[in-house]
Amino acid sequence: MPDYNKPIPIPDPFVSKPYWDGAKEGKLKLPRCTACSRVHFYPRIVCPNCGSRSIEWIEATGEGYLHTFAVQHRASGGWAEEAPFVTAYIDLREGDRVFTVLRGVDPAQPEEIMKKIGALCRIEWDKASDDVSVPYWRVVG
Amino acid sequence: MPSNPSKAAAIVAAAEADEIGYLSNPKTDMMLGIEAIHNVCREAGITTKDIEGIANPGGANSYAEYLGIVPKWVDTTQVGGCSFQIHVAHMLAAVNAGMLDIGVVVNGQAGYSRRSFPRGAAGGPGGDALGPDAQFMTPYGVMGAPSQYSHALTRHMHQWGSTKEDFAEIAVSTRKWAMLNPRAVMHSKETNPNGGPISVDDVLNSRIISWPLNILDCCLVTDHGGAVIVASAAAAKSFRTPPVWIAGAGEAIGHATMLEMKDYTATSAAASGGRAYKMAGMGPEDMEMAMIYDSFTVTVGITAEMLGLTKRGEGPSLFAGGAAGPGGSGIPINTNGGGLSFNHSGMYGMQLLVEAYRQLSRTAEDGINGLPGKQVDAETCIVNGTGGSLSATGTLVLTVD
Repeated sequence: MPDYNKPIPIPDPFVSKPYWDGAKEGKLKLPRCTACSRVHFYPRIVCPNCGSRSIEWIEATGEGYLHTFAVQHRASGGWAEEAPFVTAYIDLREGDRVFTVLRGVDPAQPEEIMKKIGALCRIEWDKASDDVSVPYWRVVG
Repeated sequence: MPSNPSKAAAIVAAAEADEIGYLSNPKTDMMLGIEAIHNVCREAGITTKDIEGIANPGGANSYAEYLGIVPKWVDTTQVGGCSFQIHVAHMLAAVNAGMLDIGVVVNGQAGYSRRSFPRGAAGGPGGDALGPDAQFMTPYGVMGAPSQYSHALTRHMHQWGSTKEDFAEIAVSTRKWAMLNPRAVMHSKETNPNGGPISVDDVLNSRIISWPLNILDCCLVTDHGGAVIVASAAAAKSFRTPPVWIAGAGEAIGHATMLEMKDYTATSAAASGGRAYKMAGMGPEDMEMAMIYDSFTVTVGITAEMLGLTKRGEGPSLFAGGAAGPGGSGIPINTNGGGLSFNHSGMYGMQLLVEAYRQLSRTAEDGINGLPGKQVDAETCIVNGTGGSLSATGTLVLTVD
């Protein structure tokens, strides 16, 4: 924990509380609309698909697929020493998309990572503080 | 002809958040505003999906994204407490002009709840420490626009088979225009050590910022001031300077954060451009030049596709072999040298307007803002600005008699 030197998000204690509570237990919790059954991310108090305000939380598989990525050569703070590193958007198995730093790929070979677009990825959690765990994703497929 | 907007629109419903006052359970600005929108829609008997236009001081992008709507009219005028009266006035004019039928003016402001926000959390719509960016994007080390736009270029290459070389042609073409503009930062070695001609290889070998974007794929960061005068048709006749007619105008929001961009190779310019063409009674085939926001090469390539100037996936092809450059075989694009090589002050839309006016009014070769070879013979120009993270777009179709 003391060695986590990246920016630690401030959990929104209102709308996203179930997400961050789940994160502490290493579980990916996602908001799902009870009216249209669609999962959305980032968490909201209204479904961006149908406009309903009836939202429940489900535990997700923690699996998804690489949608696109970039290799960051310029960064600040704790990330500066990691550069170059790979950021990516992951299409969740349950629907919608998350952003992350991608593991299990070589930042020096972006053309090889291009071949992994669509590949299966799995979530893993870094304990950033007593209260906050931050999700990362790893290419496994 | 313009008509009197009096009674062209009415306020048809009004509502507030679920709870207001001193809330025992704190809420954010966004929660309060969303509750109010939800409630006013229920009162009016519509859904949020019926909303065509959205106004909020500074936060229209975030409200639209949160609701999952893609408005065709936006107003983020932020002039303090009277902003909302002004939003209503703008909306009246827009309704009168036929740009929308149903719009909402919204605000949420956690003046009291803010006191109990976690340390470091600000609470404004969108940009706050409890918002989606701060919680789900910035912890991963992304730094500014290039670190996000790069993901769009990767996806374009994957989805459409384009290459970094294709997009580098955009930077090369735009630099050629800058070399005809003495006020362009990259006009020559005299204006900047890195100025003067560049090749595709120069772009590919320049420093990597956020792969696949190299530094020569990225816009400059400069100072700029600009202004344009808009006058009625009647008033325009009394000016000594020639009129450039606003034949069409359209606007749209696709999303606010790139997390919510459905297709990274498509922007709302397809919608805003479509509206502008429709208003003008013209199409892409009628455009004789284009001024396209070039924060990055990828921005131009994608936008050209959205505006119908070429097929999907083939945006960079407009620039191949210098076709969009000085004396090229295609339509001239970004004749001032662009944000890439002329000037980009952060919000580059003003530079687009100034250059479009100069070209269509035949004042593009005045020796200060242009040298011989810069003036093109276009009588129509499509102008497209892109804001945020490929988020919002505004398109104009400009013409001369």
